[in-house]
Amino acid sequence: MQALQSHYWAVRDYLSPVLKESKFKEHGRITPEEFVAAGDFLAYKFPVWTWEKGDASKGRDYLPPDKQYLVTRGVPCLRRATSLAYTDADEDAERLLSFGDSSGPGDEADEWVETHAGRKPHGDSAANPGDIEDIPDLDGEADNVASGIGGLSLGPTGAVEETPDLDDIPDMDEDDLEEKDEATAPTKPSGLVDTSNIEVAKGNLLQVRTYDVMITYDKYYQTPRVWLIGYDENGKPLTPPQIFQDISADHAHKTVTIEQFIHSASLQAASVHPCKHASVMKKVIERMNNSVVEEQLSRRKSGGAAANSKETKKKWPFARKTSGSGKDDRSAPGEEDEIEGMRVDFYLVVFLKFIASIVPTIEVDSTTSF
Amino acid sequence: MPIVQFTPFSSLIQPAFWHELTNLKIDVLRLSDDALPVSGSYSTGRSVVDRESGNEIALGCNLSVGSESFDKDYKAPAGSIPVSGTFKNFNTIEDFKAADKTALFNQEAEKIWDHILKTRNTALLSHFLLITYADLKKYKYYYWFAFPAFVSKPAWEIAEDGWRDATDQFSSEALSSIHTQFHSHPSPLPFFLVRSDSNGTSIAPVESYATFFESTPPSSQTIAFVDPSANPTNPGWPLRNLLAYLRALYPETTSTVRVLCWRDAELHQSTWKSRFGVLEAGGVSSNGGGRPSAVGWEKNPQGKLGPRVADLAPMMDPTMLANQAV
Repeated sequence: MQALQSHYWAVRDYLSPVLKESKFKEHGRITPEEFVAAGDFLAYKFPVWTWEKGDASKGRDYLPPDKQYLVTRGVPCLRRATSLAYTDADEDAERLLSFGDSSGPGDEADEWVETHAGRKPHGDSAANPGDIEDIPDLDGEADNVASGIGGLSLGPTGAVEETPDLDDIPDMDEDDLEEKDEATAPTKPSGLVDTSNIEVAKGNLLQVRTYDVMITYDKYYQTPRVWLIGYDENGKPLTPPQIFQDISADHAHKTVTIEQFIHSASLQAASVHPCKHASVMKKVIERMNNSVVEEQLSRRKSGGAAANSKETKKKWPFARKTSGSGKDDRSAPGEEDEIEGMRVDFYLVVFLKFIASIVPTIEVDSTTSF
Repeated sequence: MPIVQFTPFSSLIQPAFWHELTNLKIDVLRLSDDALPVSGSYSTGRSVVDRESGNEIALGCNLSVGSESFDKDYKAPAGSIPVSGTFKNFNTIEDFKAADKTALFNQEAEKIWDHILKTRNTALLSHFLLITYADLKKYKYYYWFAFPAFVSKPAWEIAEDGWRDATDQFSSEALSSIHTQFHSHPSPLPFFLVRSDSNGTSIAPVESYATFFESTPPSSQTIAFVDPSANPTNPGWPLRNLLAYLRALYPETTSTVRVLCWRDAELHQSTWKSRFGVLEAGGVSSNGGGRPSAVGWEKNPQGKLGPRVADLAPMMDPTMLANQAV
């Protein structure tokens, strides 16, 4: 079934025409050229992102051969999304995707994206009826969608912990292979995580997983698409149920599935299905664009001070982007003097913020941590 | 004085590497278990700030291999240091278990040591060994990395003030200058020399040690390396062989070395993550010019010396994929 669907998508992808004209402000979709431009911008500003050429046989001819998709490796994931402890107000502020005050058109189909909106008093998310703070306290399977499903697939597939695997080679501990070396730093505390220094939130075990995150261009939906490959704290690849632990419960198994990575002949990766990306991006961009235009106007009029206060209130992201640091108000007016609204270069930066709401614990949005 | 402890490499294998190995095994290697060249890469150590607790968490000291690791003209990802390795795949789990690992390991250590003495080149200093057994039917891959590092006897010791922020020793301008020169160098420099004099700060490859430091007082000579460790008190594994290299080739001038652990991949105006320390060889080397012994088999997650298993069945086995795609 899965394979059939994948093939269907592949054919549909092949048949659909390449988007030619730029419409990203109208409906949130971008052309391959804009994807490349936005990718160039992202890779330039945040060198953790790089272009990859991928498998030659899977190349897309509407993209430059050496710029088929973007990748960033080793993205840390400190906690499980299923165990998120909602204590930090700052984290809230970093999410740019609360539509609380702009729900005029009220497109109900878009509500699924507001994973964090439920935390606010004015949260309007019908999909999040329960107080989200309760989730970590509830015991286990029944209410916790992701871990429930994870548990389900753990049973029949037998994809259990790694330890049983090692029973296959029980006599391979060769501790006498080399003598003890005083100059080797102890691995457990230092090589991985200094767990002693970290407060473990609400009894949830802290593990540092890392993810390789890829962004491809989806021709059918004309939006970027995100793919994830995870590793546990020992560098072992994560199983699908483990990956779903890092995806907010609203999305695991609904919009996130394990699929064939489109730029490789054999690789499987978790992917966020892009069917809703365009409409969400359109909303975000509309909002961003308004504030960008406003910002630019007010900057032109009054300069730094006014813009600054607005920025702190709205947490407008691009002020930081343009110069790479928080203090850009001096340099920015010179850079973007003309009022043009949001440029398409920012598309992927915005897109990452959106993705960050789907995978809240994967620090994919490096644009805030710098 | 405290002994210097080094953060060992931990291996990170991208699933694409196993896919590539599967193809290679089926189409090219077949039943051959000859050693093959392989490549990997490491980059500067990274740390993240935990947003909940505000603590800085050091990420692993990773050496990663990926799908392009078997390529002849391997190119490390931007900002990463390429390293060469030897790869050996066994046909059966029995062969894998029974392999003479000590001999394999010594062979690689010997190779590194000879390379140092013959070529005075640093290219093989982080050379690694990877042995595998691929159970293609079950999508299970057994593997064991070794990162040979020469043991210094007696061990290196660090001056009382320990590892410090690089800014204690270098001005922000000097560090910026190092950053710029480091990035403008045509090929990535895993190890480099830093000289501060009246003309400012300049860097050069370690191979030019004799000429570059010729007229520089020892207090302005610094040895630097790209440090994959992000741990504040432990430099990364590559430093070990760099120190062995310097002791072997320049024994007169390297009983005390000033070390800069380069950890700033990107330029941050305010914070520099690089570390600085003054190391002293704890006395005269005892084995008079012969190859020092080496250590470096990677420990498994249980902390024992033993192989690891990558079980890719959940991500590769069609039946499992079908099961979870309901």
